[in-house]
Amino acid sequence: MPITSGHVAWCKRAVSLIALTALLIGMLTAGGAAARPDTQTSTRVTGITVYAAASLTDVFPKIDSGPKYSFGSSSALAAQITQGAPADVFASANTTIPAQLFAKGLVQKPVVFTRNRLVLVVPTSNPAGIHSVYDLKKQGVKLVIAAPAVPVGTYTLQVLQQMGLTSVLANVVSRESDVRSVLSKVALGEADAGFVYATDAKTVPGKVRVFKIPAWAQPKVTYAMAIVSASGNKAAAQRFIKEVLSKAGQKKMLGAGFLTIPKAKSGR
Amino acid sequence: MRKALLAFLYFLAAAVALAFLTLPMLAIFVHVPPGRLIDQLSNPVVTDALIVSFKTTLIAQALVLLFGTPTAYLLASRRFPGRSLCITLVELPLVLPPAVAGIGLLAAFGRFGLLGSGLSWAGITIPFTQSAVTIAVAFVASPLYVRQAIAAFEAIDPNLVAASRTLGAGPARTFFRVVFPLARGGLLAGEALAFARGLGEFGATIMFAGSLQKVTQTLPLAIYAEFEVNFDVTLAISALLVLISTALLISLKLTALWQPSEQTSRSRFALLSSS
Repeated sequence: MPITSGHVAWCKRAVSLIALTALLIGMLTAGGAAARPDTQTSTRVTGITVYAAASLTDVFPKIDSGPKYSFGSSSALAAQITQGAPADVFASANTTIPAQLFAKGLVQKPVVFTRNRLVLVVPTSNPAGIHSVYDLKKQGVKLVIAAPAVPVGTYTLQVLQQMGLTSVLANVVSRESDVRSVLSKVALGEADAGFVYATDAKTVPGKVRVFKIPAWAQPKVTYAMAIVSASGNKAAAQRFIKEVLSKAGQKKMLGAGFLTIPKAKSGR
Repeated sequence: MRKALLAFLYFLAAAVALAFLTLPMLAIFVHVPPGRLIDQLSNPVVTDALIVSFKTTLIAQALVLLFGTPTAYLLASRRFPGRSLCITLVELPLVLPPAVAGIGLLAAFGRFGLLGSGLSWAGITIPFTQSAVTIAVAFVASPLYVRQAIAAFEAIDPNLVAASRTLGAGPARTFFRVVFPLARGGLLAGEALAFARGLGEFGATIMFAGSLQKVTQTLPLAIYAEFEVNFDVTLAISALLVLISTALLISLKLTALWQPSEQTSRSRFALLSSS
């Protein structure tokens, strides 16, 4: 194709537009980097892999977009780490699993970094007419919970035991492998009800209705994380943990619906 | 010198491939002492999963054979506008990722699905039931059977069929006395593949039917659930599945040996891919 003067003009305009955009982006990021660390821009710890509980899927990348993340049920991730998976940090939705790994020497001393609440969710259409945990006793309710090995599954069983509602387990139609699968089945309308964390329910606002669990029945949902012993980059892993525990990190966690760390357990 | 080098590389490549394929299966058995394997077989998780797997796979395969055979024969023997489209549609679940198959089944038969909403109005819900597992298994396994069946039927000499008809046999008699015996080998091979695929189905099942012991938890689902709880049980179920698959393969080859073969190749163990 012969190059006409029209082509040249177009090329010049395109180049200047790209240059201007690049300049603007450069100015913004430079401005952001020059600001104090405790501001809106996310800092980046690179070169590490973080294995984290499924309920942290949305909030962790907001705290730090640098690491490679693998989200799943804490129990499955722990099993993978036991089999030699290349994680640097392990963040679990309970304290028992990190403690078990610590006892086996697979992770360093775990530190508590946040708390959460369990809630009952139903599809917005509420096909089974559930309005409280007690309504789960109704005949034919399709209840979906997580498998007992998964933290949220254990918490669910604790709640039902506390409330004297273990008979409700007869209505369970599926034991899912992680909390987000439970959430999906409810959000899709296939299940009548499910138990998830309050933070998960916030991720699908229009699709589910949330019912609180009475405070006296609420289990102690405490999240703990630890550096994996076999990690090749422990310094960066430590920096990541510090980030999550920092004021900025905790602010983002609270924004997502997580709860503050109890002072005595901060473990620092 | 060069010939020797090439020959060495040729055998090395084959050795690497064979080792790569056998190592994972052997490793399972090295990890599980036979005594522990037998012990785990009495574990209710294993026995329940075995029963669910076999019930659902057998019913699904019966459906696949019942509906798949006439479909394959139709597509193989007749030419009609849209035939290629039909064949592509039949083959589609084969290339579909299983999770997508699961989502599709939910979209079709789920409570708010295309067909499902009508069914639930009539009081029939499919997700989370054993029927859902059967449907998922049939969906992913049928293309394997139908494809092989089409190839098997297409390989039959049409003169034989024509001869049978001219001699007075009706279409049904021709099918059962002429077509079916000739196609038997290919149909069996297709069914073996479909059976194996159905037994191993995971993605569509977990999406569409969920996972509940005694109801919908098949052997692969039990492996997934037990992985984070008890690795021994996981190994035991895996070893069981390896043994079942091996038995399947061997019995297929043995039945093929009993049939008059029209193979012109000297090696008989290539029969699995024959049409």
